[in-house]
Amino acid sequence: MEPQQQAGSGDAPPKQVAQAMDRLGRAARLIAEIRLGADRILEALLVSNENPRLSEKAAELTLGEEDAMRRHFLDLRTVGKQLEDSGVLSGALRSRGNSWGLHMPLVCPDGAVVAYAWKRQLAGQAGASAVDRARLALKAFSDQKRRIFPQLEDDQLNRSNNDTIKFPPTKRPRLSHRPTQSPNIDSTEQKPMLADILKSIQTEAPGVTISTYQRLEWSKRAESLASTMNDSSLEQPKEQILSNLSASFNEVAVIELVASGVFRVLVSLHPAGSTDPDAVAFFSPNEGGSYLHSRGMSVHHVFKHVTEYADKALQYFQSSDPNKALSHLLSWICSHQSLFTKNCSKCSKLLAMDKSLALLLPPVHRPYLLNSKDHDQDFATAYHIGCSSYDV
Amino acid sequence: MPVKWLMHFQPNQGTTLTSQVMAEACAVAESFPGVSRDGRWRSSMTFYRAVPRDQSLPAPSDLPRDLIGISLHDLPNEYLFVMRSQRLILRAHSSVQTVMDKLQSYKGRFFINFEGLQYKWGDFKLRIGKCLYNPNEALRGIVMEVEYLPLSSIDKSQRVMEEFYEIWREAVASKLLAGQFINTEVNFVEYGLGDSYTPQHTAVLYGMCVVQVIASSNKNQ
Repeated sequence: MEPQQQAGSGDAPPKQVAQAMDRLGRAARLIAEIRLGADRILEALLVSNENPRLSEKAAELTLGEEDAMRRHFLDLRTVGKQLEDSGVLSGALRSRGNSWGLHMPLVCPDGAVVAYAWKRQLAGQAGASAVDRARLALKAFSDQKRRIFPQLEDDQLNRSNNDTIKFPPTKRPRLSHRPTQSPNIDSTEQKPMLADILKSIQTEAPGVTISTYQRLEWSKRAESLASTMNDSSLEQPKEQILSNLSASFNEVAVIELVASGVFRVLVSLHPAGSTDPDAVAFFSPNEGGSYLHSRGMSVHHVFKHVTEYADKALQYFQSSDPNKALSHLLSWICSHQSLFTKNCSKCSKLLAMDKSLALLLPPVHRPYLLNSKDHDQDFATAYHIGCSSYDV
Repeated sequence: MPVKWLMHFQPNQGTTLTSQVMAEACAVAESFPGVSRDGRWRSSMTFYRAVPRDQSLPAPSDLPRDLIGISLHDLPNEYLFVMRSQRLILRAHSSVQTVMDKLQSYKGRFFINFEGLQYKWGDFKLRIGKCLYNPNEALRGIVMEVEYLPLSSIDKSQRVMEEFYEIWREAVASKLLAGQFINTEVNFVEYGLGDSYTPQHTAVLYGMCVVQVIASSNKNQ
């Protein structure tokens, strides 16, 4: 392996993208040289056929050309290997978490080279209106921003990105709901609300431990979980007892729900101290590390699928009952304590083979539709992905 | 640490175990969609017997006469000891084997190697292996280890593992293998082990499983 290739994987993504484009260019030039060489050889053969006198010269030319061709092929093989290793041909790097949101140049099946994946999507939608294009670009950039700076929840961008596109009527009025009240009263009104919500969830689901953190506190805790996982001793959670938190409730940005041996769920609130959830993620209780946050993804398939479904549940709660979205979300999360024990409500089995995913999974879809009277909300049913009857 | 179950293959009455069974079991695993081969695995077990220092004195009764030493594939730097009579497990650094050799207080009587293929299937990891008696590489049994990565609680993963076991047994039966896989049932509480799965649990499982494998292979010979 060339040293250059080794250095490539440690370089920053923009350099990798530049290198990949460069290598693709070189590959194209080599292929052109090979084509020309093949033409020359054919020509030499034709000439020596027509003009036997020139056959010796033609033979010399052919040998020279053969050498050149062999070298070109070897070079092409090297470049091809480099490209393959950097994931360009297979698109393998596209979903890498540390790629700064930049995609490796994609070689499409039709031979076109696309520097950025979303550009191709736009090109394909040539008939799309300007609004659609702007929306796609906004989504791509804000996804990128979210990946690069998860701790910087920019107010305007986040709100408009998350909600304007899908549910414009519901988000904006809330900001102007209390026009005559001063900010001080706002924050004191919110503090008991968050504490009340958490207390009622705690009584509703005693098997789940709920803790709250400020944003930076959670980052530290996530890192420390990685090291406690390496000892097989029991973890010592740094729990903040709810009753002691009255002073700092207005800075709570992360709620952690742990059902011992079953899951660890993170819900982020935005803005900090409010009762508005903006992201949720499920993890295994034995996971730890900096990727453990409300926009992160578990390494386990079962939790990946539950998290995807939870995103939809969150959007549904935000749109149908924004004032109680957090309550509903937390209740819904707590119903997952039986994730590994409750049989599917349709096929009555716990594990089922999902044909399209080729995975054995327990029922990861728990319907989240709210009844008109919300006291009956128990989120008691669960379905395998394949057994889910509706598109929720 | 993710929970594991350990099973061994029980040949049908009157049939003998051959390496063909290992190939067939691997074929069953590979027949599930989404299964991918993940390399090989190897663990080994040593059965130690106490060497009395002074032949004339009776052996002290509180010291174990037999000791099992286990080297696990997923913990290359460690070595575990199981004292089945006292229900004790010790976790040590792998260099303790050198110490044992020098001390000569216990001598390795016989050795068993486990080796085979490893598979990844979604959140499950399967390891199917031959159980080989060391001096003459005779096949004593076939074992299968099933690991469920997302969970470490034995209690919470019980139902998932049971259902997997059923799915596996049905697949084996449908492919008409000459026998079935039996799960190793252990009361971990007797060994002082808790609900959170650890390498000590694995050591106990292997200890119990090997006893059953040897018993069934002696019966069939």
